[in-house]
Amino acid sequence: MTDVVKMRQIEKAFGANAVLKRVDFTLEAGSIHALLGENGTGKTTLMNILTGVYTKDQGDIEIDGAPATPASQQQIAFIHQELSLVNDLAVYENLYLGHELKHYGGLRRREMIATAQAFVDRIGIELDVTAMVRDLNASYKQITEIVRALMRDAKVIIMDEPTTSLTDVEINDVFKMMRSLRDQGVSLIFISHKLNEVLEICDTYTIMRDGVVVSSGQVTPELTEVQLSNQMVGKELAYSEIYQPRPLGKPVLTLKGLTKAREFQNVDLVVHRGEIIGVTGLLGDGRSELFSAVVGATAFDAGQVLVNERPVRIKTTADIKRYGIAYLPKNRKENGIVPDLNIEENLALPILGRLSRGGLINRGQLTATVQRYVKQINIKVADVKDVIGSLSGGNQQKVLLAKALCTDPSVVILDNPTQGVDVGAKAEIYHQIMDLAKTGISFVILTSEIAELQQLCDRVYVMTHGEVRAELPHGDINERDIMLVATGGQLD
Amino acid sequence: MTDMQTSAQHKQRSLKGLIADYSAIFAFLILFIVAVILKGSTFISVSNIMNILMNNSIIGIISLGMTLVIITAGIDLAVGSQMAATGLIAMTILNATQNIFLAIVAAVFAGLVFGAITGGLISKFGVPAFIVTLGTMQIYRSVSEYCFDGGGVLATGRSASAFTAIANTKLFGVIPMPMIYWLALCLLISVIARRTAFGRYVYAIGSNKRASFLSTINVNRVLLLVYALSGVLVALASIIEASRLGSMNSASSGSGYEMDAIAAVVIGGTSMAGGRGTILGTVFGTLTLGIINNLMNLLGVPSFLVGAIKGVIIIGALLIQRSVSKEES
Repeated sequence: MTDVVKMRQIEKAFGANAVLKRVDFTLEAGSIHALLGENGTGKTTLMNILTGVYTKDQGDIEIDGAPATPASQQQIAFIHQELSLVNDLAVYENLYLGHELKHYGGLRRREMIATAQAFVDRIGIELDVTAMVRDLNASYKQITEIVRALMRDAKVIIMDEPTTSLTDVEINDVFKMMRSLRDQGVSLIFISHKLNEVLEICDTYTIMRDGVVVSSGQVTPELTEVQLSNQMVGKELAYSEIYQPRPLGKPVLTLKGLTKAREFQNVDLVVHRGEIIGVTGLLGDGRSELFSAVVGATAFDAGQVLVNERPVRIKTTADIKRYGIAYLPKNRKENGIVPDLNIEENLALPILGRLSRGGLINRGQLTATVQRYVKQINIKVADVKDVIGSLSGGNQQKVLLAKALCTDPSVVILDNPTQGVDVGAKAEIYHQIMDLAKTGISFVILTSEIAELQQLCDRVYVMTHGEVRAELPHGDINERDIMLVATGGQLD
Repeated sequence: MTDMQTSAQHKQRSLKGLIADYSAIFAFLILFIVAVILKGSTFISVSNIMNILMNNSIIGIISLGMTLVIITAGIDLAVGSQMAATGLIAMTILNATQNIFLAIVAAVFAGLVFGAITGGLISKFGVPAFIVTLGTMQIYRSVSEYCFDGGGVLATGRSASAFTAIANTKLFGVIPMPMIYWLALCLLISVIARRTAFGRYVYAIGSNKRASFLSTINVNRVLLLVYALSGVLVALASIIEASRLGSMNSASSGSGYEMDAIAAVVIGGTSMAGGRGTILGTVFGTLTLGIINNLMNLLGVPSFLVGAIKGVIIIGALLIQRSVSKEES
C-alpha cells in the first residue's frame, strides 16, 4: 500500500518548550490510523502541523509522495471535538457553507440539494440533506461535518475524539461511516482515549508520549488495551486495584418518586455515606435530566429529595451548597468553563464568597486553597493565574473536579467526569474519588463507560427512558447485564 | 532556533499584548498629543484641563456602572432618563424640606429602586436588557415630563446655595469637586470589580452565564445588584449635575447621556459580548471622549458637525483596538 502522509523527524517548540521531538508519522492510503497519547503529549500539535495551522521547526512532510504544499494540506480535514456547524441551517446549506452554488447572485438551491443528496447517497449514508442540523442527533452532526470535508475533496480526515459525546448507538453510526470511507480509499486519523474503540475500528496505530513516538504498528487481534495504555503511560497501570470495599453509613441523599413529564418517572434512589453509586443507560435514559433537577438547575413535577433523611427544597443551584451537595455538569465547555476567568478563579468560583474577609477576596487564602487541589489531584499547570484555556482538556476537567470538591461537600454528583481525560489521568481521578469516599464523602457518577462503573461503584442504577430498571451490586456490574437492561430487556 | 530569537519573539508579543490590554490609554495618549500639537498652550492650560475633567465627571460616574452592566453582557439605555428622574426627585425634596441630606438619600434610594426594577425584569423574567431598558428609558422620561409639565425645577430657598456648592467648589481653589467624587467612585468600583466575590461573579456571568449558574452562583441576584448599583451611581451623578446647574429639567437633563456612557465603556475596551473589561479602561474611554469634545470646541468646529466627527473617531478608535487585539490572539 502507498503512504498518503509521511512526516519525518518533525520538531516543534513553543518558546523554550519543545513539544515535538523528532517525530515520525506515516499514514497508509485507505486505512484508519489511531493516534494515541495522554493529554498534552503533542498529538494535536502534530496534526496542526500536518494541516498547516502551525509551521514546523524541522523535518519533512510528504503528502501523496510529494512535499507538502498549502494546496495539498488543504486536502487534509481536521474535525475538532467542537463541531463547526450552523444549527439553524439545513444540512445541505451547511455542506455548501462558503462555497454556495450561485447564479447571478441567486442561490441554486435545487441543484445544491440534488448534488448534496447524490453525494451522501453515493457514500452510503442515510441522511436527508434538507433536514435542519439542529434536529440531527450528535452522530449525524459529526457525519455531516465529515461529509462536508469529503465534498471539498479531503483525502485525509483527522477526527479528534469524535465519540466522547456520543452514545453507543451513535458511535456505531460513526464507525459504520468510517469503515465505508476507508473501503472507498479515504484515510482517517482517529484520536481517542477510548482504547476499546481503537482496537475495534483501527488498522494501525501510533503512540506518543511527551513529544516523541514511543511505538507504532498494526492493530492485531493479539493487541490488548492494557498493552496500549501501558505504552501511553510508560508504567504499568494498577487499574483493577482501585475498588476497595468500605463500610457505608446512613443515607445522605434519597430520591423518592421523582418525576418530570417526558424526562424521568418515579425514580427512587438512595446514596449512603461514603458510597459511590453509578447511574448509567443509553441516550435518552434521563440520567442527566434527573440530576440537573436534583441540583435545582431545572424543576421537577413530583416527588421528594431528602438530604440526611430530611426533605429539602432546592429551588436553584445556589441552594445545594447549604445541603452539602456539589455538582459537576457534563459538557465542560458549555456548562463548566468560564473562559474569561483564570484557572484559580475558575477552580474556586463557588467559594469566592467564603474566601472573602470584609468583602474582599483574600488572595493569599485563595491561592493556598487552589494550590492544595492542584497538588491533590495533580493538575498540570504552570501558573494558576493563567487563563483556563491554556490548559489541556484533561487538565481543565481536573480543575472542574476540584471546583466541585472545594465546597467541602458530603455528596458529589459527577456527570461524565472523565470526558476527554486520558488513561493516566483517569486512573488518578479514580484513585482520588476512592480515597475521598473512604473519608465518608459520597459520589454519584453518571457515565456510560462500563469500565468506570466497574472500577468505582458500590452499586449501579441502570435507567431506560427515564425509569430505573435495575440496581446492580458491585459484583454484578457487567456489560452484558447493563446493555440488556438499558436496551429494554429484563434480567433473569 | 536560538534563545535570542525566542526571547525577541516573546518581547514583541508582550509589547503587543500591552497595547491590546491598555489600548484605551494609547488612544487617549494619541488624541492628547494631537490636541497639544493642534491647540498647544490653550489646550494644555490648567483651566482647560480642569474644565475637561469637570465636564466629564458626570458621564464618568455613569459609565462606571455601565461598565459592570456591559461586563455581564447587558446594557442600560435608561441611565439618561433615570438621571433626570432622580435629579428631579432630589430637587423637589430639597425645595420642600430644605434638607440637603434628605434630598441626596431620596435620590439614591430612588436610583436603587429604578435599577432594581430593571435588574429584576432582566433576571427574573429573562427579558433582554436592551428591550427592558428601551422601555424604562421612555417611562422615566415621560413620567418626569408629565409631572413637571415638560419644565424643570430650580433650587430655591435657604439651602440652595449650600446645595450648589456641592459641585461648584474647588479643592485648593483649583480642582473641581466633581472630579474628586469621580476619582473616589472609580477606586471604589474598581476594587469591587477586581477584589470582591460579587465583582468576579459579574465577570463570570458575562463570560459564561450557564456555567456560572451551575457553579452555584445566584445569577439572578448578582444581575439585580449590578443594575441597582448602576442606578445608585446614576443617582449620585444626577445630584452633581443638579448641584452644578442649580436646576434639573424633565425634558433635557441627561438626554443622550446613555450613548456617551456606552461609548466611553466601549472605547475603554470592554467587550459588548460580556466577560471582559476594566474600570481603568472606561476612565480613559471617558477622557478620550472628553478631549474630542473639548478639541472641537477649541477648533471652532460647527456644533452641528461635532457629532459626525465624534462618530468617526469612536469607530476609528475601535477599529484600531480590534486589529491590535486580533494580532495578539
